[in-house]
Amino acid sequence: MRKYLYIYKSEVMTNLQYIVDILVGFISYCIIIFIFLNLWNYIYSDPSELINGYNMNQMIWYVTITEILWMSISGRKLCRKICNDVRSGNIAYNINKPYNYVEYSLFNHLGVVTIRFVCVFVLGIAMGIIFLRSIPSLNVLQIAGFLLTCLLATVINILLIVAIGLISFFIEDANPFYWLYSKLILVVGTIFPVEFFPGVIQPIIKASPIYVVSYGPARLFVNFETSQFINVIVAQIIYLIISFSICHFIYSKGVKRLNVNGG
Amino acid sequence: MLTAVKNQIKVSFLSTRYALEREMLNKVTFITNIIFMILNNSCFIVQWIILYSIKDNIGGLGFKELLLLWGLAAGTFGFARFFCESAFNISDAINKGTLDNYLVQPKNVLLSYITSTVQVSCLGDMLYAYIMLFIYGITVKSFILFTFFCINGALIVVALAIIFGSLSFWFGRVELVADTMNSLMVNFATYPDGIFKGIVKILFYTIIPLEFVNYIPIRLIIDFNLNSFIIVIAVTIFFISLAFIIFYQGLKRYSSSNLMNVRI
Repeated sequence: MRKYLYIYKSEVMTNLQYIVDILVGFISYCIIIFIFLNLWNYIYSDPSELINGYNMNQMIWYVTITEILWMSISGRKLCRKICNDVRSGNIAYNINKPYNYVEYSLFNHLGVVTIRFVCVFVLGIAMGIIFLRSIPSLNVLQIAGFLLTCLLATVINILLIVAIGLISFFIEDANPFYWLYSKLILVVGTIFPVEFFPGVIQPIIKASPIYVVSYGPARLFVNFETSQFINVIVAQIIYLIISFSICHFIYSKGVKRLNVNGG
Repeated sequence: MLTAVKNQIKVSFLSTRYALEREMLNKVTFITNIIFMILNNSCFIVQWIILYSIKDNIGGLGFKELLLLWGLAAGTFGFARFFCESAFNISDAINKGTLDNYLVQPKNVLLSYITSTVQVSCLGDMLYAYIMLFIYGITVKSFILFTFFCINGALIVVALAIIFGSLSFWFGRVELVADTMNSLMVNFATYPDGIFKGIVKILFYTIIPLEFVNYIPIRLIIDFNLNSFIIVIAVTIFFISLAFIIFYQGLKRYSSSNLMNVRI
């Protein structure tokens, strides 16, 4: 475990050197929040009106939190890196090291996400307060619980993206699978809470990764309930085990197919 | 003069064709890229179905008009990225000095460079655009206008990418600025302009000219108006001319990095 913590720490240190680049990269985040602010402002004729149980402020806070989780992941970069590692044969340099490639990818990318999460979280909360002039009231324990769900959501999300990237062992380019995954998370989990979907679809969404990587933490932020918190944590632990197992399964099957030409 | 232009266009198309043939070497990846891009775009229809279940009219557009807007946005960026992918990496090329290859060719440097690569997945965007037009209701008139505005919008998008990317001739590493401007265009393009107010509206007519790329063309496809049509064309010519002027002014400051590379 210590070696993975070392990988994590060195990645955090590396990313601290590029803090300005990271901050400039969050302009997109500001634009997205700005667009949704305008969109929900337009749709809610009265800010206190309830649509599917959410008032305007809650909707905007929901999008702010889900976008924080999504933007801090930088999933495209991770998926592309794994695809390139497999396609170019670079993965051979990782295979002969005294660590597992899946865990290495997880901790290495967690180092990237940590800095991004802190920056975009501060930015998101600041934007929310500036535009909405209010923030959901949470006590210290509730904030700790919310942050724990964010951490687990991030780990599960990274593992699922690693699993998608590892599909490159079987087909040359796994990036299109990532596009689809990202759009599903974005449209079904990030833009709207589950309650906005037809009743028939809601149980399916709640059983999907969308519930644990996006909806769960954001829902806790806008309306914290202890029973909901327990549900989210239990679902996240189950998904953590599943996603970890899937990564190892794909990796163990895929690495046998690896054929690297020297040069 | 006309023969030179004709030759240049022919060379640009040949360049695109060879770049496409390179990408088609792996057929599975080629087809997967296109199909998944269509699926990727289709996901957003869910977002609008939900929003339109709450409100019938968003920003002045009904659901079908919104699909047309999506189609036009996908088509515009699809055409731009497919035929002129390198225009979006111009800043990087200036900084790394990889324009050398194009400087020694007896053809237009800018056109040769921007048509040197293609992004295959954008074929998916282009197909998706016409699927949206089909859902909206395809007629000969709407098909011609839609295709025209996709190409016209793509020209403005490419021109802006060249303008922002060319700032590297003066200011060095401006990739982030160029990328941000490009992502600004993409992010705003798929939302009706009616939901925005104030300064954003001014931006839509100036540095993020989406009014001329998407919004006025949508209104023209729905209800044609000659004056607006002429204005859109005039603005397109303005941005293209500005892109050429800025690029060639900047090119005078270009210096090679002595980077050895081979184009295959």
